[in-house]
Amino acid sequence: MAPQTCAICQKAKAMVKRPKTGEQICRECFFYVFETEVHNTITQANLFKPGDRVAIGASGGKDSTVLAYVMKMLNERYQYGLELFLLSIDEGITGYRDDSLETVKRNQQQYDMPLKILSYDELYGWTMDAIVSQVGRKNNCTFCGVFRRQALDRGAAMLNVDHIVTGHNADDIAETVLMNIMRGDIARLGRCTSICTQGEDTIRRSKPFKYAYEKEIVMYAYFKKLDYFSTECIYSPDAYRGHARVFLKDLEAARPSAIIDIIHSGEAFEVREEVKATQRVQQVCQRCGYMSSNALCKACTLLEGLERGMANSGITDRARKKLDAEGPAPDNLRTIPFFKPPSGGPLIAIESVS
Amino acid sequence: MSCENPSVDKDALMARRPKFDKTKQCVKCKERTGNVVIRHAVYCKSCFFPLISTRFRKSLEPSVNPTPDGPRRKALKASGSLLVGLSGGLGSTVMLDLVAKTYFGAPSVADLGEEAPPSKPKGGKEHPRNMTGKDSEIWRGVPAVCYVEVCGAFPGAEDRTERVRQVVESYATTSPPFAFDFIPLRLEDAFDLEWWKGVGELLFTPPPSSTPILALQAYLSSLPTQTAIHSATQTLVRLLLLYTAASRRASHVLLGTSLTSLSVNLISGIAQGAGFSVAEEAMEEWRGEGKSGELTPPIRIVRPLRDVGMKECAIWAWWCGLRIVGRERYLGGTQGIGSLTRNFITGLERDYPATVSTIARTCAKLTPKEGSDGVCLLCQRPAQHGVQEWKSRTSIRSYNHASFSSSGHERPPHLANATDRPQHRTEPSPSSHLTPHLCYACHTTLTSRSSRGNVKQTSDSKVVPLPLWVGASLSLVPTSEDSSGEVWATRRMGDGEMKAAIGDLLLNDS
Repeated sequence: MAPQTCAICQKAKAMVKRPKTGEQICRECFFYVFETEVHNTITQANLFKPGDRVAIGASGGKDSTVLAYVMKMLNERYQYGLELFLLSIDEGITGYRDDSLETVKRNQQQYDMPLKILSYDELYGWTMDAIVSQVGRKNNCTFCGVFRRQALDRGAAMLNVDHIVTGHNADDIAETVLMNIMRGDIARLGRCTSICTQGEDTIRRSKPFKYAYEKEIVMYAYFKKLDYFSTECIYSPDAYRGHARVFLKDLEAARPSAIIDIIHSGEAFEVREEVKATQRVQQVCQRCGYMSSNALCKACTLLEGLERGMANSGITDRARKKLDAEGPAPDNLRTIPFFKPPSGGPLIAIESVS
Repeated sequence: MSCENPSVDKDALMARRPKFDKTKQCVKCKERTGNVVIRHAVYCKSCFFPLISTRFRKSLEPSVNPTPDGPRRKALKASGSLLVGLSGGLGSTVMLDLVAKTYFGAPSVADLGEEAPPSKPKGGKEHPRNMTGKDSEIWRGVPAVCYVEVCGAFPGAEDRTERVRQVVESYATTSPPFAFDFIPLRLEDAFDLEWWKGVGELLFTPPPSSTPILALQAYLSSLPTQTAIHSATQTLVRLLLLYTAASRRASHVLLGTSLTSLSVNLISGIAQGAGFSVAEEAMEEWRGEGKSGELTPPIRIVRPLRDVGMKECAIWAWWCGLRIVGRERYLGGTQGIGSLTRNFITGLERDYPATVSTIARTCAKLTPKEGSDGVCLLCQRPAQHGVQEWKSRTSIRSYNHASFSSSGHERPPHLANATDRPQHRTEPSPSSHLTPHLCYACHTTLTSRSSRGNVKQTSDSKVVPLPLWVGASLSLVPTSEDSSGEVWATRRMGDGEMKAAIGDLLLNDS
């Protein structure tokens, strides 16, 4: 059988079956359409302006490794004029983060980008290992998720950047759309397909890989020989998310466009005005100054529970009542430093390329 | 004395959560022992029937009057006739039963059950059921039950028309008898000129093709995935019902979608890119073109069982002794999005009974993000603009696409020196193209391919027949160059033209 020619350029020999479209295309065209689609995502949403300082949330996994590579390349190819940084969060999970942080440090060298690693220990006084030893394996993802989001914003504030880009891919977003519908989480459903989110006092966050399939990111890393660490978190994976992920993978196998079709669906609707009116207004945490839906932000609530030896108080209402019954938080309680949005120069020294 | 072993972990001895809350007594009357458990609540047989019929009426009655105001129960007056869609499945059979018993005097469950018939008319003499003469009519004329036989699409499938007819006619033998008009349709009617002449205006002459059944099979076999065959079938059934309803001057079409099926449809629709019309899945209003070409009065498609789960439907059918004919449930095999979603949702419903209701309630809070600028020719639901630009931006398939060259992109490195541009099949001009007139989901249905090899396609059919309403509407679509907004009145769609119109969608040429 004669080799297939690329469905896009009609010249070179087709090398891959593109996961997103099922088309058989050559390697060069694969690189080019992958990169151009990310570029389209960036330009369509007017994500950046020349001179922006942008931090790439880097975990050392496939998504952020490819993101760092592609961001650097697009920045040069299309002259975005961005100043790029790498920002990593060290959750303090022995054996999980150590190797991937090495990848990030190597990326720092390869891409010639300044790197900042911010640890949970440094920010909250607790590592995830210490948290798990107190709360057990159940519910520890709640702590990690809440702490990571705030840590990224705080790290970005320290770097004095305008913008954080994360490696969330199309599969992640499609899965979140489905999960939010099944959980009835209207507030998140309304914003989960936005390419860029920005709280009043926080730094802009965007997802340039919003339309990039996970399989294509892996394929890109493979052909470009980008090395990354693929380690599952050693603490329990979220069971409900697991269900949705398996379902999504089945849908993708049935019809590969399903992932992007779900994202299109998520972008096509919004929450009705009358429902929006009932949603809570954003406020500022009284204790740490970070954006919050309540008087205390979730991170401060969780941290107070940990510090007072009642870790579940941030998770169940019953434990919260028990904590409240014991009186107000003591004055000497360890708290998160007050959040200062970026202003002027970097607040901390960053590791520059040696 | 207890022989419990104190060293055993207490948690390990904990009984599983009972399937019902607290007591075995009915939560409603608090007297009788319960017979069924619905989402952890116990109901006795006597309380179960009013529970379901109340939910049924609550879902239906607010949309009966053209404007939902005034005391509803006294003044239920629809602007047209009623058409009930019956598939032979559980939901629609239960719905037909509820319609007959609630509005058309079929013996109520209380009469059928152990209890003696009430001395006073149930619901008071003002209740529509107990009124007589002209006053009793909520809908004009005789209500119709419409069944669409789909066996033509799936060789080897059983023709159930006669068995469904018996179900409908069984209401004529009850006391008091009530006869519905039974309208049996076939899926291939969508390609049958004779049927179309009865419901729509013939503005064009379709290509002299083979029989309707061959046209249907050619249409379905041209689709690229199992998923597409399932959703195309659903669309054909929906439009056949709607055009039939319009021809009978119906104001309401009732479908027996249960809460479970609604959740499946919502998730499956979203997974196929139909997020823009998510609100239409629960409740929609449609206006077609009548025989003389003008828009018909709006027809409301109501799903009165949208608050009743599949389990409650099954209990209703069992206690009322309903005969369920069954339906040809083609969900696209094990590899169709329809069947994957159905398995997923019914599995979730088993473990987390509230999930289906959460999905439906969440989707009821959604609305399309922007206004619609037209209607999809195929499914006739509102279509979003800019769909093709979105698709070409997020999934590049060609360097020749207008949006690619106009955005100032460089050529890919390996083509930078090439003098000739890649040769692609010539695209027909946009005005003659079907693509701009399709919604995202229908375009995806016609074009999105499977990763596991395509559905077997017929090699001899060069022209894919389309449902007749598509051809009729296409002939009325103004061209993009036609700035005066003039509309083509009559135009013959030849073979070549039809081919050009859908050239981009044909997959069997490759």
